[in-house]
Amino acid sequence: MASQTSPWLRSARGPMFVAMLPAIVLIVALIYFTGWAVTYSFTNLELTGPNSLNWKWIGVDNYVRLFTRQGFLSSLWVTVIFTFFSAIVGQSVFGFVLAAAMRGLRGWGRTCVEVALMLGWLLPDIVAAFLWQATTTDIGFVNTLILQPLGFPPYDFLANYALVVVIVANIWKGTAWSYLLFSAALDSISREILEAAKVDGATGLQRTWLVTLPIIRPHIATNMLFITIWTFTYFALIYALTGGGPGSSTEVLSIFMYHQSFGVGKLGYGAAISIAMVLIVGVLSVFYLRQLKEPK
Amino acid sequence: MLKRNLLAAAAAVAILAGMAPALAADLSIEYNDSFAALVENGVKNFEAANPGQKVNLVKLPGDGYQDRVALDLSSGSAPDLIMVDSFLVAEYAGSNYLLPLDDMLKGWDQFQYYSKGLLDVASYNGKVYALPTDTDVRMLWYNRADFAKAGLPDPWTPKTWDDVLAAAQKLKDAGVTDAWLIPAGTKAEEAATMQGFYMAMLGAGSPTGDANRLRVRADDKWIGDSPAIRKTLQLYHEVYVDKKLGVGSDNYTLDFAATNKAFLDGKIGIMASGSWENSCLWDCNGVNVPSQADRDKIVAWTPWPGNGEPGNKTTTNISGGWTIAISAKAPDPANSFKLLTAIFDKKNFLDWTVSGHRMAVRTDIATDPAYTADPFLAKATELAKDTTGRDTVPGYAKVSALVQQATADILDGKSVDDVVKEYHDGLVDEFGADKVVTIQ
Repeated sequence: MASQTSPWLRSARGPMFVAMLPAIVLIVALIYFTGWAVTYSFTNLELTGPNSLNWKWIGVDNYVRLFTRQGFLSSLWVTVIFTFFSAIVGQSVFGFVLAAAMRGLRGWGRTCVEVALMLGWLLPDIVAAFLWQATTTDIGFVNTLILQPLGFPPYDFLANYALVVVIVANIWKGTAWSYLLFSAALDSISREILEAAKVDGATGLQRTWLVTLPIIRPHIATNMLFITIWTFTYFALIYALTGGGPGSSTEVLSIFMYHQSFGVGKLGYGAAISIAMVLIVGVLSVFYLRQLKEPK
Repeated sequence: MLKRNLLAAAAAVAILAGMAPALAADLSIEYNDSFAALVENGVKNFEAANPGQKVNLVKLPGDGYQDRVALDLSSGSAPDLIMVDSFLVAEYAGSNYLLPLDDMLKGWDQFQYYSKGLLDVASYNGKVYALPTDTDVRMLWYNRADFAKAGLPDPWTPKTWDDVLAAAQKLKDAGVTDAWLIPAGTKAEEAATMQGFYMAMLGAGSPTGDANRLRVRADDKWIGDSPAIRKTLQLYHEVYVDKKLGVGSDNYTLDFAATNKAFLDGKIGIMASGSWENSCLWDCNGVNVPSQADRDKIVAWTPWPGNGEPGNKTTTNISGGWTIAISAKAPDPANSFKLLTAIFDKKNFLDWTVSGHRMAVRTDIATDPAYTADPFLAKATELAKDTTGRDTVPGYAKVSALVQQATADILDGKSVDDVVKEYHDGLVDEFGADKVVTIQ
């Protein structure tokens, strides 16, 4: 084996090790923090109180509680609904439709749409939360500018349909990413292929379904991978807009974990929730990564 | 090359300049912005009396304040002085996060004026860990214009929960969307436990033998299930689910100042809160607060009634308050204590107490003519004659979090039976089955 190593590499082991140091530090740090979370998920460590000093190993109790105590499963369900409708359906489909519609367009129309999309994306989450609250409460813009002039009584959307408001807000906020990615993907399809399909008599829908989508399939999978991970662990906008409420109606896993870890102070239980989140996102990622492979 | 060196030098200078204020600060204090007037004037006096010393102010909003403090203390990065809600003093002291003050307090001539009973909430295992800023009482505030609109009597003196529910129904019928706001849920944090749950529960069971509390104090056990807990949750259920007299999402608002405004504007009819609201409904630090006469035209308050069952309390009350403590990791405890006493020096403390209509924790302030002349404080002090405190032992914070979750579950529409079971099991997880009792 050693004989195969080039003499140049053999003589430069010292400098090479130095060059590798940053990467080693990074990898150790990543493993350290994950290891920390895994370790403490088997303890009853708390932020304050007696268990912050004299914590004990409690085996898999925290993991059992994920299923025997309320909170985790209902929160997982809220997260699945939130992720499915706001990212997979909302951002992805909306982003694709917009990208397809804007494809042939140049000039003011396209610029306006792109600027509008980017503004939503670039706006800090907390500012966006204020905007959406100002828009959807009973004294918000939707009521004062649309419903009341039309003679409808004021309606508090945020109080009655909190999850829907949060989903719509996240579609508004995150569509820009999918749009940009799909725009670039669509631009990469050569016009000849589409025109050939047209000459062969394929309808618009057939061209999209049978030609465009198979070609951009890796882009779709990449997009799904990113937005699913982001949305599944998304925190700021929802927390600022609803705090997870009313009740637990918008308590996604990230808020549930934050609340259990820092509000209640159960760091051990919070660590178990975070490990469960890692596993779920990991499984989803593997699924998408398989989709990235070209079909044989 | 010269240009690059110059740029590097400029960047280094900029970084150092940015760090300068942080390096120059001798002390730091973390506080809730509703106490800004007390802390900042005290700091000003301290800096004037100690030329050359600089105090770094870490002012935080009330929303999420406790999460931040707990994190700062547990990570060892807390400022020298920290404002702590009194119920957390034992919790933090029990975690060795706070410095015992007894030795230093002996040398401070104004310590003798602190009421013994009020120092108890700032103590743990017989040692004082913090100095209280104020105490409080809790009551039902109501919007007078709403009451006039609904044809309700004013002054209002409900005798039972049913009286309050009936009034709230009339308010709702008169178009007040959020007729009765009882703090609930996890975002309202301690307010849900204190201003809502505990105030109701104290009047929902017999006052003898701790049957109307969260904990059997003599036995050192938490109550996992009791008639008082069930009746209290049933009240929440009636308000938020059955009769829809309250709007659950108002407990999850982005900005609690908006809740106060909604109350002043008449969108909330009755609000369960505390004595600080006499100023905090407008501004806790006294900025642009109308005269007492003008405030009295807009809002009024009445004591929380009991549930009306014979033997239970006719009115209830529980007191809390805030404190300022010194971090166990403060590098210069003596200097930190100097800042603490500058904040609580009589003149600064008296000014803040009187202008903010806070309830005094010291006899020298409580007997000062400026304090005794305040009609609001005289009335509130009347209420304080029959009050109690929270179960401030380490672990209470967890119980309080479970109470908040229980009220959140009611908002979700869960049944009282299910919520009580979950609450009980949560207590067993936390403290073990031998530390949890059921009262029949």
